[in-house]
Amino acid sequence: MLRKIKPYLLLFPAIITIVLLFFGGLFDGFLKSLGYFPAIGETEFSLKAYSSLLQSVAFWDSLIVTIRIAALSAAISAILGAIVAVALFMIQETSKSRALNFWNRLFQLPLTIPHLVGGYVIVLLFMQSGFLSKILAAIGVIDQIPDFPVLVNDSFGWGIILAYAWKEAPFVALMVYPVLARIHKQWRDVSRVYGAKNRDYIREIVVPAILPAWTVAAFIVFVFTFSAFEVPFLLGVTYPSMLPVYSYQLYSSGTLADRPEALAVNLVLALLTVLLGLIAYYFSKRWNVLKGWE
Amino acid sequence: MKKNYLPAKAFLFLFLLMFIFLPFIPLVLTSFSYNWIWPNAMPESFSLSAWDYVLFDNSSTWQAIGVSLLIAFIVTAVNIILAVPAANAFVRYPLRGKWLFEAIIFAPIVIPPFVAVMGIHLTFLRIGLTETIFGVVLAHISPTLPYVVRAAITSYSTLSVDWENQARMLGAGPFSRFYHVVLPHLMPGIAAGASLSILISLSQYLITFIIGSGQVMTLPILLFPFISGGDPAIASSYSLLFAGMAIVALLILDLALKRYYKKKQAAAAIKGVRE
Repeated sequence: MLRKIKPYLLLFPAIITIVLLFFGGLFDGFLKSLGYFPAIGETEFSLKAYSSLLQSVAFWDSLIVTIRIAALSAAISAILGAIVAVALFMIQETSKSRALNFWNRLFQLPLTIPHLVGGYVIVLLFMQSGFLSKILAAIGVIDQIPDFPVLVNDSFGWGIILAYAWKEAPFVALMVYPVLARIHKQWRDVSRVYGAKNRDYIREIVVPAILPAWTVAAFIVFVFTFSAFEVPFLLGVTYPSMLPVYSYQLYSSGTLADRPEALAVNLVLALLTVLLGLIAYYFSKRWNVLKGWE
Repeated sequence: MKKNYLPAKAFLFLFLLMFIFLPFIPLVLTSFSYNWIWPNAMPESFSLSAWDYVLFDNSSTWQAIGVSLLIAFIVTAVNIILAVPAANAFVRYPLRGKWLFEAIIFAPIVIPPFVAVMGIHLTFLRIGLTETIFGVVLAHISPTLPYVVRAAITSYSTLSVDWENQARMLGAGPFSRFYHVVLPHLMPGIAAGASLSILISLSQYLITFIIGSGQVMTLPILLFPFISGGDPAIASSYSLLFAGMAIVALLILDLALKRYYKKKQAAAAIKGVRE
């Protein structure tokens, strides 16, 4: 008997912790988004928060901004990440393993930098009177501060996109690089025997090989950007804000009436991320991204 | 063929360097600058006053670092205690409804944890967990635990049961089997999971802010007002300190792991001599 339940006993502490702290929180938030809050005497359920949310322009604006920023961040970091991975791969072909180890570690540096710091780096670089603007002024490309485009705290969200592109490109590289490293040297020789030029080799062999890992990595960046708070809080504008920031604004606005709505935003956000997460999981399993081939 | 490789390689090198280092240049320069105005590409005068303020004048800096590290280490210790048995169950036993347990444990990777924290906030408030370090520790567990479990699973899946059986045949009890056979094997995985756990805990802002209500001062809480429109020199110094704190914490963990193995090796060597 004990043998049978032993694995469940081993699992129990971790499971109960997550169930209480995480799912408990989700459920607690869900009840309150329905207006059920016995502590202040509210014991009735209503969908008021959800219906007013779906009718509010601010919510839809926020959703659109969120999708736009997440998609652009994912696309740009995917391109940069692929370049980084290819760069690492080419350096690897001609250098010793110690140097490579060094480069690998260096590359993970942006990954270990906290998001707030990453965001601030982008502020200093790209704000109108920032480092790039100063350099451009020093070499005479621009004459005044307003000549430099507004890239930080702009309503389009370029600052947020730049921050994520920089922070997440190494992540994409980290997902793609192992696949590149598994492409055998002989394949290149074989392709040459069959008359493939460099360009053909890349198009016919390298690109199809890295495509699954690359797509999944970009998708993970998309889901992450979709639901992250710190960077848009620092680099965004108050309106239209990304969904997590919008939810926080509602939650901390001071009026109790906004709180169910904030929690409703959170629930929508949670459902969307679950959906996106399941899609990513499905494709990574189907394409065997993490296992690869022999 | 090799010849036209060289310029391409030089270009790649440059790209990599620019990509990693360029963003840090203004951060470092600003932290040492004094009143750096546009359009000077370099600060006109350097000064240590921002660093002086951050490291010595403002006593809350060291306190905040202490609180941040305290929370990160408690969270990580709890995570390890929870994760190792769970990983054991996942890897070594046939489980019914395994997918469900996995879905529960790994859910906080997909669903943003602040959703759960905002939901539980008022309950925490009622039972007096807000504004306490304990409350913040509880809030930091769900974003970090999944990573530790995953790392422990990876370690367990390369550990053969045969080794434990051998130890059992030699008369080792369950405790000494775990301590002398299982733990050394799991150590690198646990260290990797712990690094992630520490890193994630140290960089939490929103969750700490909601549960700590501004009373539990971790470094990110202390630094936020500076980077959102405070003095750039001080903000830069704080940012570097913040990034440095995370990296140093990871290096210490790395060193501790190396020492652990050295000790093990030394102990084994001594035993070998005795026998």
